Amino acid sequence: MAERASAAPSASATLGAARRRTRLWQLELRADLARRRALAIKLAFPLVLVIPLITTGAPPFFAGMLLTVLVAMIGTVGTGVTVTRARGSGWLERLAVLPLPAWRVGLEIFLASWLVDCLQGTLVVALIAITQRPDPATLLTTWLLVLAALAFSGAIGLAIAALTDHPGEAMLYLAVVLAPTLFLAGIFTGVPASGFRYWTAQVLPYSYLHEGFQLLLGGNPPYGDPLSFLIAAVVFLALGLGASASLGRSVLSRGA
Amino acid sequence: MIETAAGAPSLQARELSRRFGNGRGVGPVTLQVAPGEVQAIVGPNGSGKTTLLRCLATRSRPSSGELIWFGSPDPRAARHRLAVVFDATAHADELSSWDNLSFFATARGVPPELWEPALRQSPVLEVADDPISRLSYGMRRRVLLDEALVGSPQLLLLDEPTLGLDVSARQWLVESLRGRAREGLASCVSTNDTDFVEQVATRVCFLLEGRVLRNAPLQELLAELGGTREIRISYRGPSPRERLLRVEGVEQASETEGGLLVLARQREGLLAALLAALGELDRSLLDLTVRDPGLADCFLRLSGRALDG
Repeated sequence: MAERASAAPSASATLGAARRRTRLWQLELRADLARRRALAIKLAFPLVLVIPLITTGAPPFFAGMLLTVLVAMIGTVGTGVTVTRARGSGWLERLAVLPLPAWRVGLEIFLASWLVDCLQGTLVVALIAITQRPDPATLLTTWLLVLAALAFSGAIGLAIAALTDHPGEAMLYLAVVLAPTLFLAGIFTGVPASGFRYWTAQVLPYSYLHEGFQLLLGGNPPYGDPLSFLIAAVVFLALGLGASASLGRSVLSRGA
Repeated sequence: MIETAAGAPSLQARELSRRFGNGRGVGPVTLQVAPGEVQAIVGPNGSGKTTLLRCLATRSRPSSGELIWFGSPDPRAARHRLAVVFDATAHADELSSWDNLSFFATARGVPPELWEPALRQSPVLEVADDPISRLSYGMRRRVLLDEALVGSPQLLLLDEPTLGLDVSARQWLVESLRGRAREGLASCVSTNDTDFVEQVATRVCFLLEGRVLRNAPLQELLAELGGTREIRISYRGPSPRERLLRVEGVEQASETEGGLLVLARQREGLLAALLAALGELDRSLLDLTVRDPGLADCFLRLSGRALDG
């Protein structure tokens, strides 16, 4: 064994580095960041959509609609498909027999995926900020709404991943869930002044996000104000985190 | 020396069954693994080995029966003291073996000061900095085993552990298991690699179509085959089977792809008599190998089916 150790001159340095404790979310995040090509595509994809929107002066309602759909897709697909693939590879099975509580596994997988999603969302907001120069309060609260909507969407992705083992099937379920959710949030038609759809819009993050994007892009949505955005961001962020933790057991127990 | 609750076996399964919707599955199985023992679960593909191992590993819940780890039926408590290697080599593929190992050690609560000795003995030390995705399948299997053994678990569950291992890695695994068993590690190995089982196991549970054919100490099973020899004969021309069956002591002679497989009771002059029978037929003998029968023959006798069949 001494011969083996001497054959690897970098071993000591590596061993020193390896003494750092590594949590699941750190491992997952580092793995995500190490997939350079996939990461570049992930970051470029939203920009490819956003650049024409803001350079061509698209109406804020429609531009905001597309950006909201984009954020919802990033969050759900980012977590849902990743977790489904992880199950297919046997990774979740390995995690399931570790002495980690299921809620923590769910939360940490979600967290790593959400942080990458946040990078994508932040790039979009940054690009809008550079080109549109909105007021700082609106910019900050809309950015927080993006992060919260990504968390909420990530929890939806995790819930879908608890239902299927196939990434393609997960994509289908995500579309089936997202389309009516976005409709109920008033993304496609606007939020009515009263009635059932008014109330459903109040309990979905996408309605706030849509208004936030409209404000950033120079629009004048009916309900938008930074304080309500801030409260909504905090509530939906907490909801996303809580839901992800509670979904951990369902995600791990599938296929057991 | 690994300590368990006084007198408690590391693992007990009583009348354990796991059934799927189509009625297939495994059980009832009763087995017990004490510290220092290596229980092998052996059977052909589809016999229920992996299903049983997943129950023992806390991954699947049994349909009926009882499972007790270290004197407790709580699988969550058991996970602190056991390590599992499934057949999939899933890792954070873009990261190195060290990165992956540090995660599994952290998750199992192994303090960092205990990692280094385990890492220094690792056979993957030379490639420890390379991303897992660049390692061969066999090397990935070795990393899995490193991850399982770091921090001295008290119960080790392995599914097809020799799959994809080369000769040196396989020998390393045999020595590791033997060494850890001497320190008190209880192991449970699901495989149909009978040569490996003969090297490491203390008990063998034969499964066929979800049922237990036999669960007995390895030495007892091998002793039952005592006095029998297996002779494999390659020849050119028509089969000498009928003539060989007339030789005193020959119990069975069957044609296989590799030639004629003869099972005979050991006696003085057995080989000479066989060669004489071949010589009388004026055949040109291509090859003749003699070996003591092993677990695969034992399974054949018990089930009437070959393990790899």
